[in-house]
Amino acid sequence: MKRSWRQATALFGGLAAIAIIIGLPFWWVVTGSIKLPREIIQRQPTMFPHSFTLQHFEKLLQASDFPIYLLNSVIVALFSTAFTVLMALPAAYAFFRMEFPGRNTLYRTILLAYAFPGVVVLIPLYGLFAKVGLIDSPAALVIVNVALALPFSIWMMRSFLATVPREIEEAAVVDGAPTTTILVRILMPLIAPGIASVAIFAFISSWTEYLFASVLIVSDARRTIPVGFAGIIGQYQIDWGLLLAGATAAIVPVVILFALVGRWFVSGLTEGAVK
Amino acid sequence: MKNTTLAFLFVSPALLFLLAVLGWPLVQAVILSFQDVGVIGSEGHFVGLSNYAAVLGGGGFWYAFSRSIVWVLGNAVVQTALALVTALILNQKFPGVQIARTWVILTWIVPTVVVVIIWRWLLSTSGGMINPLLIQAGIVERPVGFFAGRDSAMASLILINSWRWFPFTALMMLAGLTRIPGDLYEAARIDGAGTWQRFRRITWPLLQPTLMVLGVVGTLLSFNVFDVIWLLTAGGPSGGTQTLPVLIYETAFKGYRLSEAATISVLTSILLMGFAFLTTRAMTATEASR
Repeated sequence: MKRSWRQATALFGGLAAIAIIIGLPFWWVVTGSIKLPREIIQRQPTMFPHSFTLQHFEKLLQASDFPIYLLNSVIVALFSTAFTVLMALPAAYAFFRMEFPGRNTLYRTILLAYAFPGVVVLIPLYGLFAKVGLIDSPAALVIVNVALALPFSIWMMRSFLATVPREIEEAAVVDGAPTTTILVRILMPLIAPGIASVAIFAFISSWTEYLFASVLIVSDARRTIPVGFAGIIGQYQIDWGLLLAGATAAIVPVVILFALVGRWFVSGLTEGAVK
Repeated sequence: MKNTTLAFLFVSPALLFLLAVLGWPLVQAVILSFQDVGVIGSEGHFVGLSNYAAVLGGGGFWYAFSRSIVWVLGNAVVQTALALVTALILNQKFPGVQIARTWVILTWIVPTVVVVIIWRWLLSTSGGMINPLLIQAGIVERPVGFFAGRDSAMASLILINSWRWFPFTALMMLAGLTRIPGDLYEAARIDGAGTWQRFRRITWPLLQPTLMVLGVVGTLLSFNVFDVIWLLTAGGPSGGTQTLPVLIYETAFKGYRLSEAATISVLTSILLMGFAFLTTRAMTATEASR
């Protein structure tokens, strides 16, 4: 397909605009985290750092609770991811590859979960967790994060399961393999990108969850990044250098994860929307 | 083959889990709304519909409702416009398109609190980047307090939330765009249709189903946004950005009026369910009439 130079310019201009809108704020934050405090709050901001310091990162790692928050976030996110995948996979297989009464109704009911504001569930959940002693426990966050990620994860598996020809399963059935073996040995490798997508979605939604973590966790030492960090913002004297360093440090893990499997996630997202 | 049993075995962990963690609390919320519980953990008595009468009779609920409408509409307009342009661009063929499609979603994968820090800093009156840019461009004379007024705070929040969500919406639209058969464009080109005509006659009408689904899903998603608002303005100034989720949170966890918060929750849920039900009904009706 050939483009006229006008179309090419429009395309390039559009791409540049998107890159600026999305990328520039990140650029400012990441470069801001290595600027000296006086350069950060200087009246005429600089596009490229004129000074260089690692003092904000030092402070972040040594004088703040950030490392604890980071560790908590990683633990909660890893467990949430594991449980989400473990539950979403068989459920998605049943929904999209098997026949059973009430299948469509159940599937729709599950998706209904996103129609309610999270805070609606939070109020009674707080009471329930208090009764069973789960307040201030990372397990409470894992439970909530899995529940929030499950419906979308099941939905996202749909397109990946659809790419597997039914003949493969049928051949295995003829060979007399039990269904669970089919799932684990034959299907799993074929839908690995789908599993990666679900995993990354579960990880990200746990990594970014604020609302439940802000109420269900009480002690500072058990906070995850979003809540722990928000506490630092609320302090009277805002230390921008520290916050920018923290923001940079909170971006890095998801960016690394995304660099590894982001491609699959995006294809899962876009193709899942195709019925 | 006992396929049905196996299928139920497969779905039941997920189903039972969701039922316990999301379903049961929803029932509890309804029960709570008929009681008079204040602080979490205290005993409640049945008070009938008096919570509902108080909430519907007071001004707080309706004001928050009106702010929620502004919030949802603002997000819908800004996000749809940005996302549509982005999706159309990402639907082109160019070197690196796959990388662009992957990393465009960067704003969506970082924690909200990072988004909050980014924009609090960029929009701040001391050291922020936006104010000096606006002054340099001659748009304003003095630094603007973006979160100082009710409406300017609302507008700023809408732009920030849209910045976070438009790439996600764009990828959803892209899915709809890739479904449009390429031969249609080819045929139109041969018939001499220009870029605008191809968009107007092919892309736009064929994208309608996607846009309608996104309209419903996006409305629900943005209606329920809480953390960006809470962390940037906490509903202020003077309630200007207090949407319904913020009002519920504040009533429950700052005001310690649990039953009242549950009542607002139930009313909000009814509103959202009604909206979802009516729009999906309307959508199936238009599909059928085609």
